[in-house]
Amino acid sequence: MTKTLTPVAGNHACALAAIAAGCRFFAGYPITPSSEIAEFMSRELPRVDGVFIQMEDEIASIAAIIGASLGGSKTMTATSGPGFSLMQENLGYAAMTETPCVIINVMRGGPSTGMPTRPAQGDIMQARWGSHGDHPIIVVAPASVQEIHSETIRAFNLAEEFRTPVVVLYDEIVAHLMEMVELPAAGTIKQVDRKWADAAQANYLPYAETPDLVPPMSRPGDGHRVHVTGLTHTPDGFPTQKPDLADRALMRILDKIEKNRGKIEKIEAIETDDADILIVAIGIVARAARSAVASLRSEGIKVGLLRPVTLWPFPEAAVRAAANNARVVLVPEMNTGQLNREVERLVDAPAKVAGLHRVDGEPIAPGEIAARIREMIAQ
Amino acid sequence: MNEIVRKDAVRPAFDIKDYLRLDLMPHFMCPGCGHGIALRALLWATHELGIEKNQLAVVSGIGCSGRVGAYIDANTYHTTHGRPLAFATGLKLARPDLKVIVITGDGDCLAIGGNHLIHACRRNLDITCLMLNNEVYGMTGGQVSPTTSVNRLTTTTPAGNCEPTFDACKLAEAAGASFVGREVTRQAPALKNLIRAAMEHDGFSFVEVMSDCTEIYGRKNDLGESPEMILSQKADMRPEAFGNVADQPFRPNRLVTGVLAKQERPEYGRTYRARAALERAKKGR
Amino acid sequence: MARTEIRLAGSGGQGLILGMHILFRALGIEGKRAAQSQSYEPTSRGGFCYSDLVVSDDAAGYPLVTGLDMIAGLSQIGVDRSMAMAKAGSLVLIDERLVPRPPEGLHDLHILPITTRAIALGSARVANIVALGALARLSGVVSKDALMEAVRLETPKKFAELNLAALEEGFALQAGVVATEPA
Repeated sequence: MTKTLTPVAGNHACALAAIAAGCRFFAGYPITPSSEIAEFMSRELPRVDGVFIQMEDEIASIAAIIGASLGGSKTMTATSGPGFSLMQENLGYAAMTETPCVIINVMRGGPSTGMPTRPAQGDIMQARWGSHGDHPIIVVAPASVQEIHSETIRAFNLAEEFRTPVVVLYDEIVAHLMEMVELPAAGTIKQVDRKWADAAQANYLPYAETPDLVPPMSRPGDGHRVHVTGLTHTPDGFPTQKPDLADRALMRILDKIEKNRGKIEKIEAIETDDADILIVAIGIVARAARSAVASLRSEGIKVGLLRPVTLWPFPEAAVRAAANNARVVLVPEMNTGQLNREVERLVDAPAKVAGLHRVDGEPIAPGEIAARIREMIAQ
Repeated sequence: MNEIVRKDAVRPAFDIKDYLRLDLMPHFMCPGCGHGIALRALLWATHELGIEKNQLAVVSGIGCSGRVGAYIDANTYHTTHGRPLAFATGLKLARPDLKVIVITGDGDCLAIGGNHLIHACRRNLDITCLMLNNEVYGMTGGQVSPTTSVNRLTTTTPAGNCEPTFDACKLAEAAGASFVGREVTRQAPALKNLIRAAMEHDGFSFVEVMSDCTEIYGRKNDLGESPEMILSQKADMRPEAFGNVADQPFRPNRLVTGVLAKQERPEYGRTYRARAALERAKKGR
Repeated sequence: MARTEIRLAGSGGQGLILGMHILFRALGIEGKRAAQSQSYEPTSRGGFCYSDLVVSDDAAGYPLVTGLDMIAGLSQIGVDRSMAMAKAGSLVLIDERLVPRPPEGLHDLHILPITTRAIALGSARVANIVALGALARLSGVVSKDALMEAVRLETPKKFAELNLAALEEGFALQAGVVATEPA
């Protein structure tokens, strides 16, 4: 059977995937360069008996999707840097209350209003640490339109499986890039639903310490009448400040991600097995690196690319293994070194990690990466 | 008429214990705090309307008002500061079968959450919002709020408050709330009746409950113990029925109570769904 | 096919993105992989605007242009701002009226009456389609049949005839009206 390819733009693929993954509630606020997602959802959600609402700001948008998810829906919002900043408090609330939801952040130049129409990768650390306090989070970083589609679906499934907010992080270029995409037929898409508590269960604990660390969830109307709070809480859902209970509560939600790395992590490795020179990159920059690897390999240079598809939790073991086998590691990125420092942390000799950075709103081209590697070899 | 509100069944007399999470007692509220009276009035109205606890969702924000909801034996959501209306908007749109109540405070609703309030009023989604106004940020130790009376002392107005005071009901009405009311905690049955009317209203209803903070605000301003505060509060109020008469014999007459505004407007959730159904029919799906 | 980079360059409002999208669809019909990108600025009228197409078998490779093989220019600013990206010997076709100062350098340059023909057909707005026809004919990057099919798919029905005529006009431009020096 031949593949049917459909021309789709990145933001469009994201919205298509969300609906295919079962998203039935979207709340958002217009912001460049993500607005096409909201526009598409406003048109398509009513057709599948879902709800779209444009809220008064991004704080309200993420609040509304958390509220709808607590009601039992699969939900999503989409934004860019300034809006993502506004969402951070409630992102932490979703993490703390273990409410599944998906947040799309289409990265643009920052800080502040920055360059609204230009691409950047400046939110890598914000996506991990933007909300206050230690909190669990999953972040995926697609690099193509096809992958925006598949990773948005995976984001919903991860959110449901692990009862956690999942951020889909990509940049303005991929958001507006149009590529040929193979859209899976309806019915072939894997949809994960959160574990629901048995409505008949007495003594149900909404935050029980289950073996898999992910407690089943209860909806209003199911009869459990649970309390949900952003305060540190015990398995019954009510607040506590007792040191031992507070520690257990936070460590469980952190371990929920940490101990399930095997189910969450995802990388793409290209020619890394024998690589003297390793490139670590995400998103559009990783595609430039991929082209650079192809041209350098044709010159006989042993270079490879490791691309975290799941960005957070960071694929520490894979990066450590590949980096420690390499002589040098190059981390090209459209910021001043956010990924770079994360890689340095994992490498036995941090001095061998070098960065290649652009913050001028222009992408890093394959030629720049190749030239830098030739320079590094010459040194 | 709201379909969640059922008046048919014959119910036993109201016993607040049927609606509370008794294992959480004793509660955290200070002696003399008016919030408990507001809570009782809400549960009393819920009882009279025959709303099932499983179908009741109470969304609150942060502050003393935010902690009240946890005592209700229902689906309760203690959200972030100023945002309960935004959370409730998502919950109600996703679950129109629920009766959604927001409990908020003067700081939560009018300061940090003011933007959400005006847009909730404008949209007219079927949510009842109870704003417990105690004129102060109690939970954080007694700072000035948007409703603190002029000249009052707070921990951040050591020389007396010189900012003007918000009239939350006027704000809600101007923003389009289709039901607006105000009552004092001293008038518990009247408060219950007002909350009940708000809950029966099809659309966004806003009720300002004039609560009192004896422990922090009252003490700082030498307003006496709880009985004195509540009595003076009553004296400060004027029933709406007397709205057009001379101020005598009601003393300062600062605020009018009762149902202050009521209009029939299309409820947002149903309007949205009706339009969506129409679109689906057009597309033949 | 070997990686090929194509740009429609001009000014906002000329339908460059739609024009390129038609080419993108046409290549898709022929089973070729491509990626389309464009300038993304709040300038729907006037100002530099472009749309790029990178045709490549490596679907996961770099999707943005690195050295242009073909440029169709419909405004002076569009051409001026794009030539730095052009490879030596690239195919450059420009509108004789809207690009009065042809680019310098060793290019396969064609100066064509694109807008004149579009206006003769009834609307300057189909200059993008005329340019597309000329580009397809001169480069052989895509078949006429596939382009016609793509025009039918991507443009409103009531303009289909006009757009198809514009495409024919573009294909016809190749013979005769080719120059390597400013007219």
